[in-house]
Amino acid sequence: MTDADVLKQVNEIFIDVLDNESIVLKRETVAKDVEEWDSLTHIQLIVTVEKHFKIKFTAAEILKFRDVGHFCDEIIRKLGAS
Amino acid sequence: MNLGDEFSREFVITRKIYDGFRELFNDNNPLHVDLEFARARGFGGVVMHGNILNGFLSYFIGECLPDKNVIIHSQEIKYYNPAYLDDKLIFTAKVVGVFESVGAVEIKFCFEKESGVKVAKGMIQIGRKTV
Repeated sequence: MTDADVLKQVNEIFIDVLDNESIVLKRETVAKDVEEWDSLTHIQLIVTVEKHFKIKFTAAEILKFRDVGHFCDEIIRKLGAS
Repeated sequence: MNLGDEFSREFVITRKIYDGFRELFNDNNPLHVDLEFARARGFGGVVMHGNILNGFLSYFIGECLPDKNVIIHSQEIKYYNPAYLDDKLIFTAKVVGVFESVGAVEIKFCFEKESGVKVAKGMIQIGRKTV
C-alpha cells in the first residue's frame, strides 16, 4: 500500500466519521485545520482507523502524532510490521 | 475491561417503567396504548417503546460495569421482535473491541425474551472521561 493509498483511505475515514464531504487532508493537516476534529471525534477517528487497517496504536504513540502525514507514516509502519 | 468479558442482567418492562416513559416523553402512539390498534396490526398486545431498552442499556453502562468513570461515545440498536408489558428480558453483553490508545471499548449486546426470542441487539462504544 502506497503513501497516497493510505492518505486517501484516511481521508475517506475522516469524511465518514466527521460527516463532512469537503474534507481534503494533506500531509501537513493538523486538528485545528478541520473544524469537526475535536477531542471526542479524535477518539472515533483513531478507533475507526485501527479497525479499518487492523492495527493497534498505544496511547504514547497517539500523543506523538504531529500531523496527518506523521499519522499516515505510522499506519504504514504498523502495516509493514504486521 | 478486557476483550471477551461477558455480562448479563435481567430486566422487566414493568407498568411503572411503561407509564413513566409515556408520561416523560409523551409518546402515546396507538401502537403503544391502543390494544385493538396493535392487535389489528398483528401484535399480541400494545407494543412497548423500543427506547425503553435504551434505558436499560443506560443503566447497564452507568451502574453495572466495573469502572464508573465511563461515557457513551456511540451506540446503535436494531429491533427484531416486539416486547410487551411485563416481559422479562435477558440482557447479555460482550466486550468485542478494546482500543487502549484512546481508552475506548466496544460492547455487543442483545436483549432476548426468556423463550429465546430476540428482541434487539446492537453495539455500544464507551470510553473513560478524562479531565
